[in-house]
Amino acid sequence: MTKGYFLDIILTMNFYLLPPEKVFDFFTILSEDGVVFYSIVENNSAHLIKFDKDREFKPNFIKIRTAENIKHFLFPSREVLSKFPRDIQIKRARQYLFGMKNCDLRGIDVYDRVFLKWEPIDPFYKERRDNTIIISADCPEPEDCCFCNLVGLNPYGEGICDINFTPTSSGLLFEVFTQRGERIIKKAGNLFRSPGKDDEKERDINRKAAIKQLETNNQKPFDINLPEVIEKADKNVIRNARDECVECFACLHGCPTCYCFLLGDYKKGDNEMVRVRTWDTCYYAAYARVGGGANPRSKLDERFWHRFQCKFNYFYQYEKFYACSGCGRCYRGCSALIDIRKILWQ
Amino acid sequence: MAVNPYYPIPTRIVKIIPETSNVTTFMLDGMPITFEAGQFAELTVPGVGEAPFTPSSSPYEEKLEFTIMKVGRVTEALFNLKEGDLVGIRGPFGKPYPLKKFKDKEVFIIGGGVGFAPLRSLFLTLLHNLKEYKKIYIRYGARTPKDIVYKTLIPEWQKINGVDILLTVDVGDAFWKGRVGVVTVILDVIPVDVNSASVVVCGPPLMMKFVTQRLIEVGFLHENIYLSMEKNMSCGIGKCNHCRVGRFYVCKDGPVLTWQDVQDIEEPFL
Repeated sequence: MTKGYFLDIILTMNFYLLPPEKVFDFFTILSEDGVVFYSIVENNSAHLIKFDKDREFKPNFIKIRTAENIKHFLFPSREVLSKFPRDIQIKRARQYLFGMKNCDLRGIDVYDRVFLKWEPIDPFYKERRDNTIIISADCPEPEDCCFCNLVGLNPYGEGICDINFTPTSSGLLFEVFTQRGERIIKKAGNLFRSPGKDDEKERDINRKAAIKQLETNNQKPFDINLPEVIEKADKNVIRNARDECVECFACLHGCPTCYCFLLGDYKKGDNEMVRVRTWDTCYYAAYARVGGGANPRSKLDERFWHRFQCKFNYFYQYEKFYACSGCGRCYRGCSALIDIRKILWQ
Repeated sequence: MAVNPYYPIPTRIVKIIPETSNVTTFMLDGMPITFEAGQFAELTVPGVGEAPFTPSSSPYEEKLEFTIMKVGRVTEALFNLKEGDLVGIRGPFGKPYPLKKFKDKEVFIIGGGVGFAPLRSLFLTLLHNLKEYKKIYIRYGARTPKDIVYKTLIPEWQKINGVDILLTVDVGDAFWKGRVGVVTVILDVIPVDVNSASVVVCGPPLMMKFVTQRLIEVGFLHENIYLSMEKNMSCGIGKCNHCRVGRFYVCKDGPVLTWQDVQDIEEPFL
């Protein structure tokens, strides 16, 4: 189990079953003290939308992770970090993310390390994280782009989330990981019933099938010394790898583990300034350029490879896992369909 | 909310001291931050942006100075400010020079151009406890005599017992009586014990490259070669990723790294 950031992890796993006819009621209770986002499918892609009890409710917890990068909810693409000369105070409302997949939890694990574990704490991330309840779902039908198994993940939540659930034939089988998750279940206690042995059995069968599917899609594991292999990679492989890249950067903007950002200052009126954080990506030519003009990664070769170093070598050296979730958004979003699995297998 | 590490503390410029045609020392009001030699801060020009600078003053003095060259957008805006104008400051960031390791040893300081600014802070720190160090050597190169910073201070420092200073310029003029040539010309003779001395280098990328080559050639221990890395340090707290050199965050693990740290990195000074 991945321990993650929260200290209020519970040691004994508690299971609860939410019958299908009670799902809407559960959402209604959750929405009383926060905004609830849940996954739906549209045009064959999953998306998170806001729950509104007066609108159509057609959740889908089977489809793979959302098409969009979910990091928006914790690390938005644009955020005011400071004002000058007087600073700002922030207070975030509670939000529920319902139906996220384990690949996206890897992203949150990376952010928890960077913004909370690595000192100093980033108060903006912390405020959002503390007010975000994560209820993840099993991912029973991995697709061709998915490779979470290659980066050490299973297709179901094992931590980082507050609660994980498995859709079964008798409802949603909830497994609670944190005390605040337990409190949420208690609040809607009358909606749940105790699961039977068959529910857990069905869950295990579904999970095994999903793992098998992933293993069929990705038969070859990454080299066990991947960080070292990346470090010492052949220069020609590095050059060839980026041949098809058209520098659209969809791979990095869509990545749920990328955490680069840019700070920009803007005038607001005559006497005030705001400092804004926006997502950045290391593929931009000016990314590492200094004021005097020197640029350590002026060539695309170097920038392209830096991404691999960052995710599979440098981050690994700090935290002993890859800053990659295997979600496959980089592959699906790439104009040239560059598949990082193939580069890493090489 | 916890302390906001992105918020710059408001302060004012109280004194502007021109050093050369494009280098100026800015003194800030009081001590808005405290620091140790080698650490840096982010200076904000309101509404324009911020950039990283290492103080050039001593951490033992009750004043905070930055010697800055006009090279980019933020510094250009900074040079348009006047005494009394509002600026912001965040920091200190990064690790200081490991002074304990310099104790009872010779300290060999090599600066190029405005790279001498952070070295002044180090030098003044060493001067504060001069007897703790065997001897301090300074080797400083500038483009022309007019580009030498701290012109009035250097002759004073040259009089101090236990301090040995040599200067060179790339191109001399009618009044220049000293050495001519890039900074490596004053490294032809290395008067220190290379097996024990600590050497500290700060300057433009090319100078860093050639000086480091020379230091390795004469046998300085790799872990004793301290190099100021000029990288795009933006957040200052090891999060935004812009200053990455290999696995190091220059803003957090640096800004001074040893040759031992960076020797496997291709072109570490670029």
